[in-house]
Amino acid sequence: MIRFIAADLRRHWIGVLIVMLLIALATALGVAVTLQERALRLGSARAASAFDLVIGAAGSETQLILSSVFLQPAPLPLVPGQVLAELNADPRVAWAAPVGFGDFVAGYPIIGTTQAVLDGLSGVADGESFSHLGDAVIGSSVRRKIGDRFHPFHGTVGEAGHVHDDVDYEVVGRMKPTGTPWDRAILVPIEAVWAVHEHHDHEETAPAAAAGETPEEQHHNHAGHDHDHHGPFAALVDRHAASTSNNPGVPAIVVKPKSIADAYNLRQQYRRETTVAVFPGEVLTRLYGTLGDARQILSAVSLGAQALVAASILLVIAVHVLQRRRQIGALRAFGAPRGVVFTIVWLEAFAMLAAGVLAGFAIGYAAVRALSARLAEASGVAMPVEFRSTDLGTLGLLFVAVAIVTLIPALLAYRQSPAQALRS
Amino acid sequence: MLPLVVEALDVRFPGLALPALDIPTLQLKAGERLALTGPSGSGKTTLINILTGLERVPHNRAAKSSVRWGDTDLASLSERRRDQWRAANVGLVMQDFHLFPGLSALENVLLPQRLAHLRLPAGMYDDALRLLSQVGIERLDQAVETLSRGQMQRVAVARALLGRPGLIVADEPTASLDAQSGAAVAELLLDLAAEIGATLIVASHDHRLVDRLDRVLRLEGGRVVQPELAAA
Repeated sequence: MIRFIAADLRRHWIGVLIVMLLIALATALGVAVTLQERALRLGSARAASAFDLVIGAAGSETQLILSSVFLQPAPLPLVPGQVLAELNADPRVAWAAPVGFGDFVAGYPIIGTTQAVLDGLSGVADGESFSHLGDAVIGSSVRRKIGDRFHPFHGTVGEAGHVHDDVDYEVVGRMKPTGTPWDRAILVPIEAVWAVHEHHDHEETAPAAAAGETPEEQHHNHAGHDHDHHGPFAALVDRHAASTSNNPGVPAIVVKPKSIADAYNLRQQYRRETTVAVFPGEVLTRLYGTLGDARQILSAVSLGAQALVAASILLVIAVHVLQRRRQIGALRAFGAPRGVVFTIVWLEAFAMLAAGVLAGFAIGYAAVRALSARLAEASGVAMPVEFRSTDLGTLGLLFVAVAIVTLIPALLAYRQSPAQALRS
Repeated sequence: MLPLVVEALDVRFPGLALPALDIPTLQLKAGERLALTGPSGSGKTTLINILTGLERVPHNRAAKSSVRWGDTDLASLSERRRDQWRAANVGLVMQDFHLFPGLSALENVLLPQRLAHLRLPAGMYDDALRLLSQVGIERLDQAVETLSRGQMQRVAVARALLGRPGLIVADEPTASLDAQSGAAVAELLLDLAAEIGATLIVASHDHRLVDRLDRVLRLEGGRVVQPELAAA
């Protein structure tokens, strides 16, 4: 029986291949929508889970999260300096660290922060933490080497800006991977950012001689990390700079509360006129609502496509069965029981469609893997593409659907009278 | 091997005034060889379909119809049981072979037995090899669609004989072959049917075949017009 089915499939291999491909692509469409949405959701949730609570100046909560967790640059209002100092002194706070931004180098955001984030995120894998104002620690996917030097570039990527020629950072360490956009960041001491921009504000009125220039980088390979910083950048990092209330203020503060209760207390306390306090998860949940709507629309579209493909393929199979009337009649005439004829037609159609569905899952998975890899490279958000047990349910459901739908041609064959089939 | 007793067979098709087949009685002895002749539309194929159980024995209002092969009355069997009976007792040879492309000669011979029993009964494989060598097919693994027409019909004859059926029915077995192949197939059919002692029914216009059978039944308009012993 299997040989008979295989012979028929082999004889019509071009048609079989096309049918399988159509089924596979229709399935892949649905699988891709589900997997990609899940990858986006999981990836962003994991990125956000690195930070429990984010505090910023009163303004858009969504923008605050996008800027601090996903490092999307935006001009955020500054939180007054004493908030950071207050938080650092608060007994409910395990650690609090500023997130200051505005400069870039080669598309990587430069984040001014403190030691607390380095420890709190993942720790330093190679090299050491910053100890001087001119030291920088790079995220795991930044393409720089320890010992490289660079000038920060003021302004956003692709826009006119200018190079801070007089500021010179040296890469002293590399963080462990975190799976968050912070893997693409270059971390420098917050005081350095303050210093640069204080300095920068003085020069604002001067002709922007360096405007539009690309960042000039120097790739010295220093053996070890010596004290060849000059000017104000040779100063040592003051571990307590963030705890003094006379600092210039920061766009966002990430806070690690000691307990969940503390987290809620702090959020409550810092929701006031001048500051907002948000759990990144809350904001993401709102975004997921939108994402979920989009997924539902796409799912409906892909379901429609699948239904159309299924209907047309069913037609193709029905025509094929009718064309095989004589053959099926002959099978019966030579003594094949009706059940066997039914099983042959059903198995053949089911094998073809089920193989298409399986291939569709593989294609969908591969497509989402490729897409997510590109997205991850661009955003730094690691996107876990994974099947879940519910997908097994979906697969099972699809198989059941295929099994039921292929009953139609099988019944068509079952009902054929052998004598009539032979006569035509 | 199977004796046949047909009684009160009356086949009508909707919309036709005259019966397609009207045979009050017909008897065949076990192992008898019958030629079925008559113009096209005379009811030969209908009779063959009923005698092989491919079609239901229609209900006759006037008298109780029966088509008895040995102890089995086809009129009392369901479609499923008729399929079973046919698989066990009937070897079919048809005008256009009905071999299954994509399978080899050997696989074609074995296919009906495989499908009917799901597992090949013991000894069938060796029987198939013997039958194929008797009909002169040497390359057993050759795809059947690459054979000549004469070879195809010889494979079909081997297939009909496998399982030693009690009844062999051939519908115009030589009509689509050239004279030489036709003669060879006719020869094989008669020899092999005789070897297993099967009752043989052949619908044919081929005199070389018809003349060598025991009896000729001529149908015209669904009626038997010339029930007589063949001269041979």
